[in-house]
Amino acid sequence: MKTFIKVTEIWVPNKQRTDLEFGSGLYGGLVEFKAASEQQQFAYNEGLPGKAWAEGRPLVWKEFAQSYFKRTAAAKEAGLTCGIAMPIFSGDFLLAVVVFLCADDEHHAGAIEVWSNQDCSEQSLTVIDGYYGSLHHFEQISRDISVAKDQGLAGLAWASGLPVLVDDISKADGFIRADDAKQAGITMGISIPVSDNLSSSYIMTFLSAKATPLAKRIQIWVPDSQGEQLICLEGYSKNPNELAQLFETTTVTKGVGALGRVWLTGMPVITGDHDVDYNPELISLSSMLAIPVIEQGRLKAIVSFLF
Amino acid sequence: MIESDPTCVFLEHALIAGGFKCLKSHYGPDFLELIKQITPDMVMFNLQSPSKKLLADLQAQQQLSAMPVIMFATDDNSDTIHQAIKAEVCAYLVNGLDAGRLDSIVSVAMARFKHTQALKQALEEACAKLEDRKLIDRAKAILIKTQNFTEDEAYHTLRKLAMDRHISLGEMAKNVLSMSELFK
Repeated sequence: MKTFIKVTEIWVPNKQRTDLEFGSGLYGGLVEFKAASEQQQFAYNEGLPGKAWAEGRPLVWKEFAQSYFKRTAAAKEAGLTCGIAMPIFSGDFLLAVVVFLCADDEHHAGAIEVWSNQDCSEQSLTVIDGYYGSLHHFEQISRDISVAKDQGLAGLAWASGLPVLVDDISKADGFIRADDAKQAGITMGISIPVSDNLSSSYIMTFLSAKATPLAKRIQIWVPDSQGEQLICLEGYSKNPNELAQLFETTTVTKGVGALGRVWLTGMPVITGDHDVDYNPELISLSSMLAIPVIEQGRLKAIVSFLF
Repeated sequence: MIESDPTCVFLEHALIAGGFKCLKSHYGPDFLELIKQITPDMVMFNLQSPSKKLLADLQAQQQLSAMPVIMFATDDNSDTIHQAIKAEVCAYLVNGLDAGRLDSIVSVAMARFKHTQALKQALEEACAKLEDRKLIDRAKAILIKTQNFTEDEAYHTLRKLAMDRHISLGEMAKNVLSMSELFK
């Protein structure tokens, strides 16, 4: 993938639901890392996905060698330097863990952040973890601020419980880092509520530069007012994509198709050709990662990343 | 020119006398490498009977890069002839080595080669068109099903999408199919 996210994986509980096993993944050309990953299992509290399960929140690991990361040698070989785990819970019970693995690259600007209302604050969110690649100044600023409910990407997602997509952050109202984001080359962002447990809320934000988009298209699907069908609330891509827009006019029935299965099961999915390298310059879409947003056991939305 | 008997110079002399530029060699394990290096306009064999290995090499070479091949042989076994034709030999002549006829044999072989190549290209194009047709029909069916389009609307949508992207209808159909695969 020619983006700062190089690998995307889905880890799912095994039959006994005591360990996590490989579900599916997008590895592009990293075939050896893929082979090393497919054989892995993670117990509760083991490795990056197991720790995210145990802690009940998203995790960002930047130093594999000094962590409990189990695939350090293979990751080093593949040039991967950072891992982000996004657990998907329904209440207390884990459904899956989505893992993103990144590589430091001066040419690809972007950031993935974890925001939380630590100390159970009802008022504000702060960055508790994040991967910023080469955007050191932006990282410093982001770690120093807090956002109120309804403010900025993370605050809006926290308030609504829904994913929020902003296609031009520099012009977004209430995004207090707008100028800094512009300076860092960041143009778009999406925030996704994750693991809403009793004590804390967690919001993940994905920020990317126009030249190096996170995905060729990002969509937000939500159940309609009757809760009978999924409709596409929003779709975004750097360049207009009429074909994707056409498919976004369709509705999705529970259990039918990839998104329908996400709705039925609450499990994230990866579809399409898993081995194709992601090239943002190509128009055609070859794979999709769809992540459910679940609140109190009900599907609030599905975020799909199309590569 | 591949000669099985290194002492035989009849064909070599006849070719040179006929104004051809000729490299004489014998068949061996490096046959394909030799062809790759010198990229001849034509390959001519003079032998008793082509071995299975030789015919297999020839067939592999023809799939890689087709070239006119003439084979002078003494073996008139129909199976051998059939295998030689399968290896895309343009002319298989049994006991037909005659210096006086060499020029016309080469001309006929060249003409047959060009004709066969034109037919092969036309076949490939027809197959590609048929494949495109199938893809377009499948893409139309998807658009009809997901968008409630009529067949006409589906075709015009496909055509517009293709024109907007400056790609062929077949390519656009592939995009529709892969998009639909993602949501399957």
